[in-house]
Amino acid sequence: MAISLEYVVKETTGNLWRNRLMSLAAVLTISVSLALAGASLLLKQGVSTATSQWKGGVQLLIFMQPSATTAQTKAVSSQLNSLPEIKSYFYMDQAKSYVEFKQLMANSPDLVQSVTQSQIPPSFRVVLKNPNDAPSVGSLFQQQVGVKDVNFNRGAINTMLHVTSIVQLVIVALAVILLISASVLILNVIRVAIFSRRREVAVMKLVGATNWFIRIPFMLEGMVQGLVGALVAVVAVVGIQALFEYVVSHFQVAVLSNFLVSSHDVLMTELFVVAMGIIVGTAGSAFAVRRYLEV
Amino acid sequence: MIKVDRVNKRYKEDQYALVDCSLEIDRGEFVFVVGASGSGKSTLLRLLLREERPDSGQVWVAGKELASMPGWKVPFFRRNIGAIFQDFRLLPNKSVFDNVAFALEVIGKSKRHILTQVPQMLELVGLHDKQDRFPDELSGGEQQRVAIARAFINRPLILLADEPTGNLDPENSWSVMGLLERINRTGTTVLMATHDVGIVDSMRRRVIELDHGEIKRDQNRGVYGLGQQSS
Repeated sequence: MAISLEYVVKETTGNLWRNRLMSLAAVLTISVSLALAGASLLLKQGVSTATSQWKGGVQLLIFMQPSATTAQTKAVSSQLNSLPEIKSYFYMDQAKSYVEFKQLMANSPDLVQSVTQSQIPPSFRVVLKNPNDAPSVGSLFQQQVGVKDVNFNRGAINTMLHVTSIVQLVIVALAVILLISASVLILNVIRVAIFSRRREVAVMKLVGATNWFIRIPFMLEGMVQGLVGALVAVVAVVGIQALFEYVVSHFQVAVLSNFLVSSHDVLMTELFVVAMGIIVGTAGSAFAVRRYLEV
Repeated sequence: MIKVDRVNKRYKEDQYALVDCSLEIDRGEFVFVVGASGSGKSTLLRLLLREERPDSGQVWVAGKELASMPGWKVPFFRRNIGAIFQDFRLLPNKSVFDNVAFALEVIGKSKRHILTQVPQMLELVGLHDKQDRFPDELSGGEQQRVAIARAFINRPLILLADEPTGNLDPENSWSVMGLLERINRTGTTVLMATHDVGIVDSMRRRVIELDHGEIKRDQNRGVYGLGQQSS
């Protein structure tokens, strides 16, 4: 049986307008919670790119000159082999480092264009038995021929990872609480809508309207609220990201200098936000329909 | 057309709404169901509309067995049944035309179908000149005629009427009864629950009397009661 589009649109918008204040409350709660969830996702992605060189417990980075000879590189690796403080290490050659560089700089295509693979420094990624040895071990290589730079600010990285994971946990917890309250709000909006249309519903049942025909306008009403809330959140997430990038670049937050969120990450986050909005809205109204609309 | 076979129905323990109730109604009959309040009349009608299921026994309406009918089939079944009530059940924010059209709209009929059917039906019930009025601008009798138009617009095989004249003065009652009789003459089976002694006695149709959930009397060309029904 065809459900006429005109009927569904008329019913849904009519319901939304009748309960506009409650609908607004539900929509705003959804947008705030989803904006938080989206921002926290972007934060996580940004931090994970910013710290990708330090993945796997790496505590010390030894960058070689791009022009370093094989013999110079060999010398460093044999010295690393001989040091008792070192647990393990691996070598990132120019090809791998170039791939990593392109990922790190994905938002600066001009920079990527202007740098070729031969300009990229290869590096040793070193894991120490005791992280506190990083400065002393690092200083051994600082002056070595063929070594460009030694980086051992693992401590700062650790602190940042720790802080961001706590911040993220708090944000996610807040977002979840808000999402739950948003679906309860939607449930209530739909319950009121069902109650205010109980005569129509009774007549519809009497003359043989199918269950889905009766339910769909109410379900759509919840879905539209979720969707509108999500769209507001999408705009907010873009704004939050811009603000964060502004802060990082203008205040020279050192450990976050590589902080970056690729446009791909942003797109995926926004899609997630929209999907969550629709799911929360539909779930809230579906529950109300099941619970309060006996058909 | 309607067959109720050894049906029991109770709402609470020890309180039977219908007890071992069996009856058969043929196509085109006009039947009154009489009895005191709480005698089971409304329960019988609710079973025939499949708003309730019997605790035991079978209910056959228009060739379908309702006790075992799955829920999703019920709407399609109800399209073959018209129903009117004491309180009319019109939608107050819709005009007469829209009230009748609503019944077609919600089962997915086309606009063209609606625009041809509704005026015909309003003509039949004599309200074509009031199609833009709202229910609260009409008399009770007119409202009930709108309800009849809505119930009959799908040309149902059966029309169930639950005390349709309960809220009407005698004059309006008679105009409604005239309409039901005309609908009956088109071949539609009419089953009407009522308290109205005058109507039952003067129409001389089949009368089924319920008393505490049991069928006490079933007679052709009957009257309301033999004097003992006062409660």
